[in-house]
Amino acid sequence: MNQAADNVTDMLQRRGIFPYPVAQGFVTVAASTLVLLAACLVFAPSSVSPGALAGSLPFAAVMAIVGLGQLLVVQQGGFDLSVAGGVSLAVVIAAHYPDGDNARVLPAVLLAASCALAAGLANGILVGFVRLNAIIATIGVNALLYGAVFAVSGGVPRITTPLLAEIAGGTTLGVPNSVYFALVALLVVSFVLKKTVIGRRFEAIGANPAAARAVGLHVRLHQMMAYVCSQLLCCLAGVLLAGITREPTAFQGDALLLPSVAVVVLGSTSLLGGRGFPVSTVVAAFFLNQLSQFALAIGVPYSAQTIIQALALGFGIGVYSVHWTRNTRRSVK
Amino acid sequence: MLEPLSKPLDKPGVRDAGTVTLKISGVSKYFGGIRALQDISVEFYEGEVHAILGENGAGKSTLMGIISGALQPSAGEISFGGDLVSPLSPERAATLGISISFQHPAILDDLSVLENFEVALPRSVFQDKPPREVARAALDLVGLHLPLRTRADVLTVAQKHLLEIAKALAIKPKVLIFDEPTASLDQEATDMLFGRIREMMEAGTSVIYITHRLAEVRLIAQRVTVLRDGRVRGVARVDEISDADVLGLIVGRTLGSAFPPKSSRQENEIDFAVQALSGRHFSDVSFEAARGQIIGVAGVAGNGQSELMRALAGLQKSQGAIRLKGRTLDHQSLVHEAAFMPSDRHSEGLASGLTVRENATFAALEKFATYGVLSRKEEMTQVVAAFRSLAVKAPGMEAPILSLSGGNQQKVVMARALLSKPGLIVADEPTQGVDVGARAEIYRILRETSNAGTPVIVNSSDAAELEGLCDKVIVLSRGHVVATLSGKDVNEARIVSAAVGAATHIGDTGAADRRNTLSGWRHFLQSDNAPTFPLTIVTALLGLYIFSQNSNFLSSYNVANILLAATALGFIALGQTVALLVGGIDLSVGPLAGFLVVIASFFVNEDQSFGMIAVGFFLMFGGALVAGLVNGILIRFANFTAIAATLATYIGIQGLSFLLRDSPGGYINAGVVDIINRQIGPIPIAFLVLVAFALAGEYALRRSRPGWRLRAIGCDQDSARRVGVQINRTYIAAFVLSALFTACGAVMLMAQIGVGDPRQGANYTLSSITAVVLGGTSLRGGRGTFIGTVLGALLLTEVLNAVAFLGLSETYQYVFQGGLILISALIYSTVQRRGDA
Repeated sequence: MNQAADNVTDMLQRRGIFPYPVAQGFVTVAASTLVLLAACLVFAPSSVSPGALAGSLPFAAVMAIVGLGQLLVVQQGGFDLSVAGGVSLAVVIAAHYPDGDNARVLPAVLLAASCALAAGLANGILVGFVRLNAIIATIGVNALLYGAVFAVSGGVPRITTPLLAEIAGGTTLGVPNSVYFALVALLVVSFVLKKTVIGRRFEAIGANPAAARAVGLHVRLHQMMAYVCSQLLCCLAGVLLAGITREPTAFQGDALLLPSVAVVVLGSTSLLGGRGFPVSTVVAAFFLNQLSQFALAIGVPYSAQTIIQALALGFGIGVYSVHWTRNTRRSVK
Repeated sequence: MLEPLSKPLDKPGVRDAGTVTLKISGVSKYFGGIRALQDISVEFYEGEVHAILGENGAGKSTLMGIISGALQPSAGEISFGGDLVSPLSPERAATLGISISFQHPAILDDLSVLENFEVALPRSVFQDKPPREVARAALDLVGLHLPLRTRADVLTVAQKHLLEIAKALAIKPKVLIFDEPTASLDQEATDMLFGRIREMMEAGTSVIYITHRLAEVRLIAQRVTVLRDGRVRGVARVDEISDADVLGLIVGRTLGSAFPPKSSRQENEIDFAVQALSGRHFSDVSFEAARGQIIGVAGVAGNGQSELMRALAGLQKSQGAIRLKGRTLDHQSLVHEAAFMPSDRHSEGLASGLTVRENATFAALEKFATYGVLSRKEEMTQVVAAFRSLAVKAPGMEAPILSLSGGNQQKVVMARALLSKPGLIVADEPTQGVDVGARAEIYRILRETSNAGTPVIVNSSDAAELEGLCDKVIVLSRGHVVATLSGKDVNEARIVSAAVGAATHIGDTGAADRRNTLSGWRHFLQSDNAPTFPLTIVTALLGLYIFSQNSNFLSSYNVANILLAATALGFIALGQTVALLVGGIDLSVGPLAGFLVVIASFFVNEDQSFGMIAVGFFLMFGGALVAGLVNGILIRFANFTAIAATLATYIGIQGLSFLLRDSPGGYINAGVVDIINRQIGPIPIAFLVLVAFALAGEYALRRSRPGWRLRAIGCDQDSARRVGVQINRTYIAAFVLSALFTACGAVMLMAQIGVGDPRQGANYTLSSITAVVLGGTSLRGGRGTFIGTVLGALLLTEVLNAVAFLGLSETYQYVFQGGLILISALIYSTVQRRGDA
């Protein structure tokens, strides 16, 4: 019996092409993305033209950043529904507060960041320490955030500041700046998760809070930090959106809530918590965004796009849930 | 594999005792390649108490699981009264009259005492008498005097056991199985139970009595079967076999693994001492360990050993003194000082999603880091060194931890413990589920660690293991130390006879308990419907306040408006309540409601015939049915979490809406709208229908079998399965019901929007959850109230309406909404926690 198990893993190991073991989810999502890109080149070359990419990549980048935030929360077995409010609030603060004045962009960003910190702490304390259900707590905080959105904006869009438009919406070396922001966010999240004591403890706590508690780790503190980081990343995404979109509305974040969960799932992170895959999440964000572009280019109406997304999501969960059951249900004594 | 059977003890003449009720022939059971039972054949006679004796892990509970239909044997058959009855399901077994009182009572905490009877017992039991009388009679029989409406979560462990026994007795079974019934009962309750068993026996019931205690076998049983390592080692009449012979059958297992030599040092220096330690399930435990000594903790499972281990590891509070090398430790510092090896590796020892390396190091990460940044090289070096000294066999450092054998998994847990350089090792069942070869390795490691000066405490239910490994063994029974063995006394026979022979009864009494005598008022506060009261007051006060600011608020036009909006939300929220009751969540309700309106917008138009309009309504409910089925099937059969499944349908359904209409269109028939919105005075008829639905739902939830089943699986799926609830069917039905309620909400929505708009509806997901939470339904499942949900929907709608009437900005609309949900969630969670305490 043990030998059988050893053989299986041997097989799994040998199947790896890389000397370093690569996460199964990453292979899946990267291969899907390559297939999609090939399909784009063949059937809808316009969707991968430099012009189209310059237009769509910034949104992929924003989705990736929000997805990274959601990833951290999902790793702790939680769920951040206040992503929508968090992004929207950062958008309106970054667009309304400076009111076209470049000099006030930095204070606006700092203000947005402190709001995000407060929202994240509220979520984190309610979930981590008061032990409220994550869905309830983040629905509540989301509503409060929208309250703030309307307090700041009154619900009317405002044209963004030139400086912000240049920083967030501009390009460097032909690549949209927002992509660099997303890459930096990815690097930081990956480094902290995989290379630091805090990050590794964070993953262990997500994988099994009971085991983590048994070795004396501070479970609740780490759970709280997940929500704080999620809101800070939402804030970054929101500020970028305020620059990318010429006239951002007050509900800019709503459209990001479901995709944020979808990219986490497609990136093969289990909704039950545990190990997180930031690189896969970012690739999944690009994949999901490009899928929409592809559908758009071959003339599929908006409606069918979301169906495609739902199928991709369902398929993704289906593929990985087979994997999960192998991991979680084997605890037969 | 094969070892010679011990000489069978049954003598000629034993078998002609009476009629055989139940016969097991050649039953074997494997769990994923591990043998739990092999070729078991036993006969149970009418009017006889047949004891099944054996150590932990001998296969007793597995055998009972097979007899009660909860488990299916891998081979062999079961016959009942001469007829072949396998395969047996829990329902079939119950119909035949096979009743079981589980070792871990299958009591559903969120249900009342009466409901626990009603959900678990077959209908036939309640045919002659009303359920209250049946339950009352059964409770009187076991001496449990509780109000029937008491919620089971306030019962003590002993009371739950008595309730479990009462359930088993109420069936008036032909075969009655007791699995360790006295484990938490005191002397008085035990005597009462034995009295009942004798009565059952005289009435001709065949009683199967599983126990560890030899004394109890002598008291109550006529016949005894001894199991060891999944096989029958002997069957005998109790009066024809001596204690020594029975003990000989129970023990005598060959371990086949070598033990390291014991401590030979004559040091008197005490490294670790525990004095008068008491905590949950154990009290007044004292022992001390000299340097180099391994301390064993023995006893029949569930006598406080694991709690003692947790206390020693600082994971559970305790009173008394624990001294380690001269320092007195409190439980905070114990957590950091002690390395705990949990008995349940899967739930507490391993992080199954992580790799071998990550599992080995997560307790000691700071030792490989400079300024918080890990050095992979340092980590690898230390892990490799640890693995080498522990002889861990793993396909690679980055292999998933579960790909290792049980023994190697346990060694990884040990490696983690050793890497964190602990002051004390607390090992709870360190060789459970570990193969023979790895056991020897684990013994060697524990001995080496102990020799190096780290005190080691081992709890094991395997007496032979303790004999081989430990220098001193304390034997616990009912939380007390009944023997402290050292030197030559550390042997299996002494350990087992101390554990099995102990007759102390310190369990709490099952008799009246002050907490359970609640007055009617206190009882209401405890019930699921308690939130209705404050909700009504808040709704009324808020209404009066707004009225005082703007008298138009209570105009019949506005009241009707509020009620209509609340009706749409209320129906959808009722659906959400059902999903939450079974412990799920339905995120797809919002888009589904919108989608159903879009469907209606193609049929329910001005110029359509009555027939087409009827088709439209039919399709709405048909669509809802399909959506509910998809959700349920994805969750139960494709292993999606409820969130993931309903999120996927959320996005998909939204897409379908846009596919049918990419912009608003298809005006709804005004006549139909009029009918839906018809009012009696200011009150819409639809709202009355909603209230009627809620009341009917509430009644069904408390008084009908489907209602109990819904709450049972939300409360505890495992217990629900054991009392015979069909989990899959009920769960899927719950999601279908949720979708059908949403369809009712969609009908209201249709009349309010008046047009098919693919953008409408989605926000009902969040507001439905808000309304349900306001109403006091728990997101953990099992507890909920439809009436509360309707009130929650009403309050939420009122608040949103108020913002307009008080002339407040949209900001307040959101702030009120957020504030409401957070405050109510905080209040409910505090109240519940107090209830739990």
